[in-house]
Amino acid sequence: MPSVIETSQLTKTFGSNGAAVHALRGIDLTVRRGEFLALIGPSGSGKSTLMAILGCLDSPTNGRYTLDGRPVEGLGGAELAKIRNEKIGFVFQNYNLLPRASVVRNVELPMLYAGVGRKERRRRALELLETVGIPDKANVLPAALSGGQRQRVAIARALANRPSLLLADEPTGALDSRTGAEVIGLFRDLHRQGHTLLLVTHDPAIAIQAERRVEIRDGVVAGAEEMAA
Amino acid sequence: MSGEGAFGERLRNAWVEIRENLGRGALQALGIVLGVASVLGGFSISDSQRKRADEMFVKMGGLDKLRVQPADAVKDGNPTALQTANRGLRGSDAEDGSKIDPASLQGVSLQRFARARVRSPHADEERQIQGIGGDFLAVDGYEIAEGRVFSNEDDVNASPVAVLGSEPAAVLFPSGDAVGQTIRVGDTPVRVIGVLRERIFRFRRDQHNIFRRKNRFIFVPASLVSGRMQGDQYRRLDRVTFRIPDIKAMEAFAKNLSPVLRANHRQQDDFRLDDIGARIRKERSQSDVYDVIFLLSGILALLGGGIVNVNIQMASLKDRVREVGVKMAIGAPGSEIFREFMTEAMLLTFFGSLAGFGIGVAFSKIITLSIGIPLAMDPSSFLWAFFLAGTFGLLFALYPAFKASRLSPMEALRYE
Repeated sequence: MPSVIETSQLTKTFGSNGAAVHALRGIDLTVRRGEFLALIGPSGSGKSTLMAILGCLDSPTNGRYTLDGRPVEGLGGAELAKIRNEKIGFVFQNYNLLPRASVVRNVELPMLYAGVGRKERRRRALELLETVGIPDKANVLPAALSGGQRQRVAIARALANRPSLLLADEPTGALDSRTGAEVIGLFRDLHRQGHTLLLVTHDPAIAIQAERRVEIRDGVVAGAEEMAA
Repeated sequence: MSGEGAFGERLRNAWVEIRENLGRGALQALGIVLGVASVLGGFSISDSQRKRADEMFVKMGGLDKLRVQPADAVKDGNPTALQTANRGLRGSDAEDGSKIDPASLQGVSLQRFARARVRSPHADEERQIQGIGGDFLAVDGYEIAEGRVFSNEDDVNASPVAVLGSEPAAVLFPSGDAVGQTIRVGDTPVRVIGVLRERIFRFRRDQHNIFRRKNRFIFVPASLVSGRMQGDQYRRLDRVTFRIPDIKAMEAFAKNLSPVLRANHRQQDDFRLDDIGARIRKERSQSDVYDVIFLLSGILALLGGGIVNVNIQMASLKDRVREVGVKMAIGAPGSEIFREFMTEAMLLTFFGSLAGFGIGVAFSKIITLSIGIPLAMDPSSFLWAFFLAGTFGLLFALYPAFKASRLSPMEALRYE
């Protein structure tokens, strides 16, 4: 099966010579298509830095990164924006919805940036809201929704341009355990439908839901385990 | 972003952003509002003044005139023989001047002033008498109300006839039957052959009639004043006026006239030329200076407003960094962020300009009302104000928009 993510010897260094911080010290990671992977590690381990680079929000200092068969290290800002738009769907801990845009407009936004026509945008956004289970909330503002509902909107938005990779950064971090479980259930459904998921978490109880876990510690891959079948 | 309706979407988002932050938006637009109002207000007030002045000049019979008047040739000491022998400004000067450029010349008028005791059966007063010749009445914008004006023969023969201004006509003949009656001007019996129409022009509404003096004259042939009344054998004149509508021809004429007159006057500079149009044009150029001052004060307001605007934008950018980060994360390139910020700034500029138009018009209305002249607004003032506002709005929006577009998506997302 082809890989969605392939990295070799990724490093990231912040600051300069004297006070340099080596956040990543050579990461080799492969995520296959359709895989559900959890990236775990304590805070300060470098997993957030890795997530930013994998999400094309940041560039590595060194090493190679191939996303969906295309090398992306060293690409410019506009090209990275295009890749984020087409290939990656982000789900954040604090939802990051635009507060002054209605739910359906939030979901349409990535399609707007991709140049999708108005009617098609609306049609697909409503379909996605149906998929994530909140078809009746299209025209309300995010502030009128519960945390779980907001995270569903964020997931619908992440799916808008049929990305190759869903990147979720502590998606249940701001939710109570029951709602968190529902959101994880939604991720498992998406996984079953064939989506490739990368979940970043520090919570072992959440990580256990993934197919495979990769632990990052001090900027290197400290260990990996397959989920017991 | 090139998708269908992308611009509309940006515009809509900008509108929502402004509506949700009305206070901030109003502050940002304030500089634009004041700048537009000051440019528009300044322009329309000076336009109104100028238009009123134009109306006045038309009533004066036009500005396209060159006046020749006697001047003192003797600076100090005793006059030289040449100066003593000189005969002053005369009809021959008008004749010779007329030969310079007959094609462009539209009229010549002659004037000789006097004061005299004027008597009718109803009144006996000291009055200003104007001896006139040539095309004086037409050149000076008088119209006849009753009777007739002077003929050539009246002029040549120094006929004892008079045309009365509206005011002396009413005073000398209160019953209104002046034409055909005889008055005494000094010792000379003079027959009234015409009465002039009253001339009225008030620059401001409650101001006095600035043509009041023009209605008070009693006109007789110039030859009657200088000859029969004053016994001047040279029939000297107090003023000769040439009317030449074409400005270029007028300039050439003024240059050529001096040597002709000097030749007539034994090389004495005992006359002076007064180009009324040039004098008015000079006054006009002063009002152009006011226009520039208004323009500058508008630009200053726009500059100050623009700097305030940049500050507010930069401060509000801090609140919006996260939002920019989110948009970038889901695929907005820097250029899109730039366009969104610019759209918002341009929309604000547009609203600010509209408000500025309102305030500017109201301001000009109040000022022109208070000084009592009709309001005249030129569409070009609106265009100027809008153009300036647009330029400054654009310039001062560039930096914050550029800053926002260059944010790192990672840092923007993490911004607290």
